[in-house]
Order: sequence, then structure tokens, then C-alpha cells
Amino acid sequence: MKRVEAIIKPSKLDEVKDALHALGVTGLTVSEVKGFGRQKGHTEMYRGTEYTVDFLPKLMIVVVVVDDLVEPVVKSIADSARTGKIGDGKIFVSSLDDVMRIRTGERGRDAI
Amino acid sequence: MARVSARHPRRWLLRAVVAIVLAQWLIGPVIVARADEPQPDPAGIATGDKGITSDAGGTAFVVTEPTDKTSPDYAKNKQAFDEYQAQAAKEPLALKLADNVGHLRISTNFSWTLLTGYLVLFMQAGFALLTCGLVRKKNAGHLMMLNFAAYVFAFLAYYVCGFAFQFGAAAINAAPANLGGTPTLNHFLIGSGSWGFLGGRGFFLSGPAYDAGSMCLTLFEVVFMETAGYIIVGAICERITFGAFLLCELFVGAILYPMFGCWVWGGGWLSQLGNTMGLGHGYVDFAGSTVVHAVGGFCAMALAVILGPRIGKYGRDGKPHAFPAHNLVYVVTGTFILLFGWMGFNPGSTLGASDLRISVVAVNTNLAAVAGAASAMFLWHYMFGKPDVTMACNGMLAGLVAITAPCAFVSPNSAVIIGLIAGILVDLGVLFNERVIKVDDPCGAISVHGYCGWFGAVSVGIFADGTYGAGWNGVGAASYLGKAGQGVTGLLHGDFSQFIMQLGGATLCAIYAFGFTYIVFSAVNAVKSMRVSKEVELEGLDVPEFGLPAYPEDEIVNAA
Repeated sequence: MKRVEAIIKPSKLDEVKDALHALGVTGLTVSEVKGFGRQKGHTEMYRGTEYTVDFLPKLMIVVVVVDDLVEPVVKSIADSARTGKIGDGKIFVSSLDDVMRIRTGERGRDAI
Repeated sequence: MARVSARHPRRWLLRAVVAIVLAQWLIGPVIVARADEPQPDPAGIATGDKGITSDAGGTAFVVTEPTDKTSPDYAKNKQAFDEYQAQAAKEPLALKLADNVGHLRISTNFSWTLLTGYLVLFMQAGFALLTCGLVRKKNAGHLMMLNFAAYVFAFLAYYVCGFAFQFGAAAINAAPANLGGTPTLNHFLIGSGSWGFLGGRGFFLSGPAYDAGSMCLTLFEVVFMETAGYIIVGAICERITFGAFLLCELFVGAILYPMFGCWVWGGGWLSQLGNTMGLGHGYVDFAGSTVVHAVGGFCAMALAVILGPRIGKYGRDGKPHAFPAHNLVYVVTGTFILLFGWMGFNPGSTLGASDLRISVVAVNTNLAAVAGAASAMFLWHYMFGKPDVTMACNGMLAGLVAITAPCAFVSPNSAVIIGLIAGILVDLGVLFNERVIKVDDPCGAISVHGYCGWFGAVSVGIFADGTYGAGWNGVGAASYLGKAGQGVTGLLHGDFSQFIMQLGGATLCAIYAFGFTYIVFSAVNAVKSMRVSKEVELEGLDVPEFGLPAYPEDEIVNAA
């Protein structure tokens, strides 16, 4: 089992979700996050005074998948979230020890 | 025990209420109209009769008996009077009808004045939205409470003495004929004749002020005072304590606003300088560019100077930092509510629909608003590359503030020019406050209401074209500048003295409002700091001052 975390542009959520659906991924968690990478922040003006937005709004999606699905999932997230411009985000893959479905008490692969 | 009563100020409140009731009971009967004076008409039955019926040109229906037998026109006037008497004796029904026409004329004017007053009242909602939208989210509840409490406490102060100070002598030089003349408001507390400084009838709206015409005036004028009271919120928010703010509101409603209002609208000395010193029509401010807006704006400036900038507004190097508005939807909605309310503010200031100039006033007001918004937007775009929504809104308000004094006296073309200049002025004023004198004004109140208010009053002296206001402030009723029916006239149409009067009066207003406020509240601040503590200011004033954030869902709330 692997956990795939992807930081994406907020406007790309629908496309990423549809792509994962097509792969048969059954669950997905989204959070609104803020941060910066190479894109850094940007400078704006408010009533004649400059201000910088250091942390940009992004979405973080978390998907847990079985090992053989990792490559297709990572690829489809990358394909659907890409605009080719700076600020498209990153994908992190890490291994996962265990999962439990709270309602039934199922563990491991069955609980995904 | 003392700690408890300090935390629950119920006792203090109770004492204040008892004091007000007692004072009302004690002073009320002392200031009734004497038997030999005009008596108030609380039911409004006797207000408006044939005496005020006239043709469209203002010629009275009733011919009064000439008293001055040495006058060259005496024989002619006496003959006219005799003919009228003979005619009246033949047609008694006509006189009864004329009485009714006079009463209806006052009814029409009452309806107009009250309804436009309600529109002005709605401006308070606009101010609340506008100022709330322009501040940071953590202070939204604080802004709402300030706007709310301003209405409540300034109103009470105006009821106790503000109205009396402002209009207690209105009948002497500035009788509102459209509302029946309020003959019972006829005494200056300080000054007399053409040199009145403070009115002295109508405390607690009792005795002489308990009169239908006088109450109509009160409703319309109290919401104007409230506008001045709201203006200061924009410059002092996000750092003032609630207690200090209430003191500011009582000060504005009880004395600061009414005193200058008396000088200009209550028949006081500034309005009479045309008669006494030959300065045009005296000081002319139709709906309050200075009386309301500049008074509020410069009072706000003094308070903002005393309070100092918000924490973090200026860096160690003195460079300003931006605190962006938290809700532009509120800002624009609030601005449009204000524009809508201004349709009562300016046209309503005729105090009557029998004055058909109201249509010109309404169009001029709108034109200046859009012109101000356009010029503020374009200048900002030129300077900074993008049109700032909040500055465009400030530009619209700047145009409105500036047209408020001249709206009745200028042509639509002049209204557009006044609006365009105001839009530029407000942009430069905001930058001047922020970068040069470093007075922290979160909502731009000083620039919008102070600077543009000053400019509006001066623009009367430049653009007034003489088509309206014949006999204004008792000057030139028969003819002015050698022309019958010539009204208030500005520099561009040949009356230099009016320009001097406007320039002097508007500047005096700025000095008065700033100076008076600065002196009083420097003393208050020396006794007890008017500013919240650093921790409270950083946390946001909502919870420490009022116990509830404006947006509780933003915080994790434990229901248990």
C-alpha cells in the first residue's frame, strides 16, 4: 500500500478527480493548503501600497492505493494537473503501514 | 465588589438613565414657549394656511397690510391690500380653499422631507458595510458594533442638546418656510441677531420644539448628524476602545456638529456674513459638504492623529504596509447603498417637494458620483497599472461629498467637472495621508469626507451660476448683482465675494473640526488611553472587546 499526496492548482481539481475515477480509485481526500515552492509569492498593490502574497493557495489531495496502481495514479495525476507553467505542484509517494475502515473494522488492502 | 460592578456596568448605566430622566423633568418645563411668543403646534393642525400659498414664482396669495407709511410704494401697496380685502370679503370660500392649499403644501413638503430623511437613515447601513469590508476580518465585528453604537448614542446626544444648539434659533435668520417656519425655535443661547453662535431652544425636544414642523426638521437633521458620526469610524477603527469611541460619538452629536451646523444652517453668524460683511450670499453649503462631511472628516483626522497608526502599518524604515480589504462585496454594496441614500441627502435638503429644483439636484448628485468614480479609477490605473476597486468606490463617494454643497446651484456640466476633480483629489489625498503625513486612515475617510468636503464648499464659490437661491440667507431677495431673481453666484459667473466667503468658510470648518477635536481628545487621551492594548490589537478587537468573532465558523468552536 502506498500513500500518494499531490499538491495541485485549485483550478485543476475536477480534471484530477475525473482522471482518478477513470482509473478506479474509490476514495480521495482534499484539503486547502497554502505554501510556496519555486513559484514563490507575488506582489500586488492595495490603495497605493505594495504587499506580497508569500503563500499561494493550493489543494492537497491524498489517495491511498495498492502498490500496482501507484504508477498509473501518479502518471494520471501528473497528466491531468499539468499546465506546463511554474506552480503546477508536486506529487509525493510514501509507503503505508496499515489502514482500517472504522465502520467494519476491516484492515489492510480490504479497507482501501 | 468594586471589580464586579466595573465588569458589569449596569449600575453606571442605571445612574445615567436616571440622570437623563431627572434632567428632562427639571429643565423641560423651564424652557417652554412664553405666553407672548409663538406657541408650538404638536398636532400639526395649525401649521400651513393661506399665508404660505403663492404662485410658482413665489408671489404670495395673501396681501399683507403695508405698515411703513413713509415708503414710496405705500400708496400702491395699500391699494393692493384694499383690493385684496374687498375680494376676500366677496369670496369667503376662496379663503377657506387657500387655507387648505397652504396646509397641503406643507403636507407635501413634510412627506418629502421625512421620506428623504429615511433614505439618509439607510446610508448608515451603507457606511457599516463599506467600512466593515475595508478592514481585516479579525475586526469585522468591532466595525459592526461601532457603526451600530454610533447611531444609538449620537442620536441620544442630539436629542438632549444637539438639536437645540443647532436649530434653537432657526426662526430668527433661517426659518424653514417649507415646513411652516418653526416659529418657536427663536432664541440664541450665545450671540444674537446676525451674530448667533449657538441655538438655545428645543432641549430634549420639549417645550418649543414639541411641534410638528420642528419634529419634521429634527428627523431630517438627526440623520445628517449621524452621517458625520459615522464618518469618523472609517479613520479610527481597528484600534480604538469602545468606551473612547462612545465618548467621540457623544462629542460629535452634542456639540461639535451642532455648533458648526448652527453657524451655517441655524441662522448663525457664518450664514449672515452676506448681510453683515457683504460677502456674497453669506456662507452657502446646500446639503453639507462641510457642515456634515468636512466636520466628520477633519474630526476623524484629529482622532487618527491622536490614536496613531495601527501596529505594523509602518515599518521601522517608515514605509507603509498594506492591510487589504477583507470583503470587496461589502465595499461595493455599501457604496451603492450610500449613493442611493444620497438621493435623499441632497434633494431632500430643499426641505420640500414644492421646490422643483429637486430634479436638478438629483441629476447633479448622480453625475458627480459617476464622474468622481471614473476619474479616481482612471488616475489610479494610470499611476499603478490597475484600477483598485476600493479606490474607485472612494472616488464615487468623493464625487458625492463634493457635489453636496453645490448640487442646487450648478449646472449638470459643472457637476461633472466637480466630480472629476473630486475623484483626482481623493486619490492624491489617500496617497498624501499614507505616504507624506503618515496618518493611518483604514477607509480613506479623511480624504473622502475631509478634503473633498472642503473642495465641495469652495466649488460653490466657483461654479454657482445664479439660477437658484435668490434671497438665500436673506441676501438679494429683490435683485442681486443688478438682476432680479439672481441667486447664489460663483467666481465664473461674476461674484468674487462669494468665492472668498466659501474659501474662508470651508477652511474655517476644517480648522474648527480638527482643532476642537484635537484639544478635547488630547485631554481625554492623557487621562485614559483611547487605544486598546497591543495584545488585543494583534488578536483583533472582536473577541476581547465584544466577546464574539464576526465569523465564528472560521474558528474551531467547542460546542460543549
